[in-house]
Amino acid sequence: MTIATIEDVEFGAELPPFEPDTSLVATGAFADAVGWGRAARFKDHDQARAEGLPGALVPGIMALGFLSSMIHRWSTAARIDSIDTVFRAPLLAGEPCTLSGVVTDIDEETGAVQLDLTVKNPQGENRVFGTASIRLPVA
Amino acid sequence: MIDVDSLKDQFVGAEFDAREFVLDPGKLVAVARAVGETRPEYLEPDHPDFQATPAFIGSLAAARHLPIDFPALGGIPMDGGKAVFCIAPVRPGVRLTGRSHLHDIYDKSGRSGRMLFIVSRMEIFDPDERHVATSDARMVVRERPQS
Repeated sequence: MTIATIEDVEFGAELPPFEPDTSLVATGAFADAVGWGRAARFKDHDQARAEGLPGALVPGIMALGFLSSMIHRWSTAARIDSIDTVFRAPLLAGEPCTLSGVVTDIDEETGAVQLDLTVKNPQGENRVFGTASIRLPVA
Repeated sequence: MIDVDSLKDQFVGAEFDAREFVLDPGKLVAVARAVGETRPEYLEPDHPDFQATPAFIGSLAAARHLPIDFPALGGIPMDGGKAVFCIAPVRPGVRLTGRSHLHDIYDKSGRSGRMLFIVSRMEIFDPDERHVATSDARMVVRERPQS
């Protein structure tokens, strides 16, 4: 269903799940673009393990980006006012993760919508969770 | 034991860093692609509303994480989370200024001891001094047990 205005949003609705690209190519491209290209922990499993990590990591802020993209895919009309994420545990590069979001509040007068967000690893463990405040056109 | 109220009184709200940025359109696109963005305003530099994604805004960092005179807390700091507040589009190719202050300091105690949370906030302004975005970085430090 297309989410174009606040009238299209239902309380408790789940956003379509989105499995982002967590490959080393993607984490490396992200790290390069934001100026962290020298940090091997985002680009190389062996070097990350040499730092005592379980493997190369998905940058935490990249997970916030995945969640923002999920919101934008759900509604091309939605504008993110704020997005707040808690990094509970690392996400490993190359490991699939599943994003989910659910509508927890709607203000039909202002077009404001609250979302609860999670990122889970293949074991179903919450690695990142958060909330977003978004705004949709009022019909 | 660290006195959180004292730290708050001394540091919260005081600007400790100001830094200028000029965002590169190619890097904005690279980040948008890496996070799976599909909207043209994040992917196409020629789009009339081309702007930085929330993730790119959240990646902008102060030259230092904490005020220069902030005391050493003893434990290893961890990245506890990020928040981004989008007020107006953040555009490439113009001079942006990020001003940072500590927004909050608080603690939580659990079975494994006390954790300190330090929220560093960067407010981002465009060339007209208009506040366009805010980025919070939440640092977590596990307090070392007293021996």
